[in-house]
Amino acid sequence: MIKYLARRMLTWVLMIFLATNLTYLLASAFLNPRANYLARNPRPPEASINATLDLYNLNDQTPLFTRWKEWITGIVTSWDWGSSPTGGSVNAEVAGRIWVSAEFVLLATVLSTLIGVGVGVYAASRQYRPADRISQQVSVVTLNIPTPVMATVAVAAGIWFNKQLGKTVLFVSGSESIGVQGFFPTLLDAARHLALPTATIVICGYAGYHFLQRSLLLDNIKADYVRTARAKGLSTATAIRRHALPMSFIPVATSVAFSIPGIFTGAVIAETIFGWEGMGRYFVTTISQSDIHGVVAVAAFGALVTALGAVLSDVVVATLDPRVRVS
Amino acid sequence: MTDRILPPSTGMAELERELEHQEPGHVDPGTVAGAAGGVVGAGAAPTARGARKWRLYLRRFVRNRMAVVGVVVFVAIALLGIVGPLISDYTYDEVDFLAINDPPGGDHWLGTTGAGNDLFAQLTHGIQRSLLIGLVVSLATTLIAAFVGAIAAYVGGWVERAILEVIHFLLIVPSFLILALVSNDVNGDWRMLIVVLALFGWMYYARIVWTMALSVREREFVAAARYMGLGPWAVVRRHIVPNIGSMLTIYFTLGVVTTIQAETGLSFLGFGVKEPDTSLGALIGEGSSLVYSAPWMFWFPAITLTLLTVSMAFIADGLRDALDPTSQAGGRA
Repeated sequence: MIKYLARRMLTWVLMIFLATNLTYLLASAFLNPRANYLARNPRPPEASINATLDLYNLNDQTPLFTRWKEWITGIVTSWDWGSSPTGGSVNAEVAGRIWVSAEFVLLATVLSTLIGVGVGVYAASRQYRPADRISQQVSVVTLNIPTPVMATVAVAAGIWFNKQLGKTVLFVSGSESIGVQGFFPTLLDAARHLALPTATIVICGYAGYHFLQRSLLLDNIKADYVRTARAKGLSTATAIRRHALPMSFIPVATSVAFSIPGIFTGAVIAETIFGWEGMGRYFVTTISQSDIHGVVAVAAFGALVTALGAVLSDVVVATLDPRVRVS
Repeated sequence: MTDRILPPSTGMAELERELEHQEPGHVDPGTVAGAAGGVVGAGAAPTARGARKWRLYLRRFVRNRMAVVGVVVFVAIALLGIVGPLISDYTYDEVDFLAINDPPGGDHWLGTTGAGNDLFAQLTHGIQRSLLIGLVVSLATTLIAAFVGAIAAYVGGWVERAILEVIHFLLIVPSFLILALVSNDVNGDWRMLIVVLALFGWMYYARIVWTMALSVREREFVAAARYMGLGPWAVVRRHIVPNIGSMLTIYFTLGVVTTIQAETGLSFLGFGVKEPDTSLGALIGEGSSLVYSAPWMFWFPAITLTLLTVSMAFIADGLRDALDPTSQAGGRA
């Protein structure tokens, strides 16, 4: 099993490497850092623009391969992800933001998986009864509410809620308050900031797991091995819990990894609306400022979170699936 | 899906007809149009059978009440998008300097934006834009997904492995970021946006098509077609893709929702449709920061967009009940 996981991790490292390099090529093709200087008034002389761009390894007059080599050498040898067109270090920008977004994306992923799977199991065990039908309709609605709409409604709801209580319980902007100290106060503060944005992502995202888990569990309940378990004397509930549920959860766990890019997209929108300075905001600023190195760092982060989710789901699959667990 | 997969004998008869009357590469409209119903050949009897089949589909669809509501809402919004610009006194890019940030009422039915654009004109234009992008992109991605997935499953071997690796890789690449990169560069040209969204939107469905095509590949009529000397492209086009047509119809509907959501996200962040053009996403992007100072600018586009995506999803749900024989959500037959 360790060997299996190690091999999977190696594949992921390779994937991240490829994805990052692909983004570098695309970003170099579609972003033009020179524009940042050409738009200045008075326009700096050509030579000084070139000198500045050369300094940051962003000059489009240098061959792409040379620029790429310098960039990749910087990362491999000294973990230096380069600088923005105005000279800011990408490492410094990312360092603070990465935790803001990581906790957000992972929390949203875990919560929406748990809620989705829970609702799916509940609905499957009551197939075609009112609970199943109602949860089905509700999930169709929530799954299809656009994230910007949901996030803005969450802000409005948060403000209304605070007004009703007469004090600020849920924050609608920013990721943390200044000057909070101690472990529990920090935790509480983080929770008050996280509540609304996470709720937004979870509401928009849990339904996918609900539908998947429901249909898979229904397939498995009718499978032969569950009937065998029943024939050996297990009660229906136990047979489902011990045999059908673990098997039906395996494809769900696999799909978690593929849904993380979507959650990250949701996070970009939610961070914009809730005013978080995380990787999602950085994504928007770097693209609009033609910051090639910053964009690549965001892509690497996205690939990394996806890989983390995939490895986690591999661990879950490995513990659940006897075929993997035994060999 | 099973009732749409033909008994081998019908497949053979149809195949012989095709081999007799068709040059290779000739697209038979009957075969393509028959996508949802397997192969509807020429002659009176199949036509009658076709009509009965459509009545059955309709009955199964109508039994899903939310799907019917979805159709009504969707048609209403689409009509608003088509008729709206014709009855409005203003065009979407016209600026009324005497009415900036006006609340709804009076001359401007839904109020005006901060720049003085008539919100009703912008909203109806936005519906048109979002719907057009959604429909075209979804059609393109469904077609790409159908053929890439089906070819991977049918040809097998290294082609299959290569295609799956590419799909797998593209699913992991932060595609929204690449979308934003590229669409930001086309400067809000909605036609280019369609191309970009279609190029990066087919992978997930291609993977689903691949799994479905794997089982169709093993059917007798596919083997028969192969033994009669039909090339892989012809087999995929005439026999595999039509047989997963009902699923493709459902994924087309869902694809419209996905695309509208992606377009909304991009335009909301300012990377999609840009001024002076507008879409529902761009309008929401403008309105979301003004929920309190100018609520009409957020709520009108937001409610329209939500109704649009949710109604499409209910339509897809109803289509699944109607077209997928394994779905028994609405009872039998």
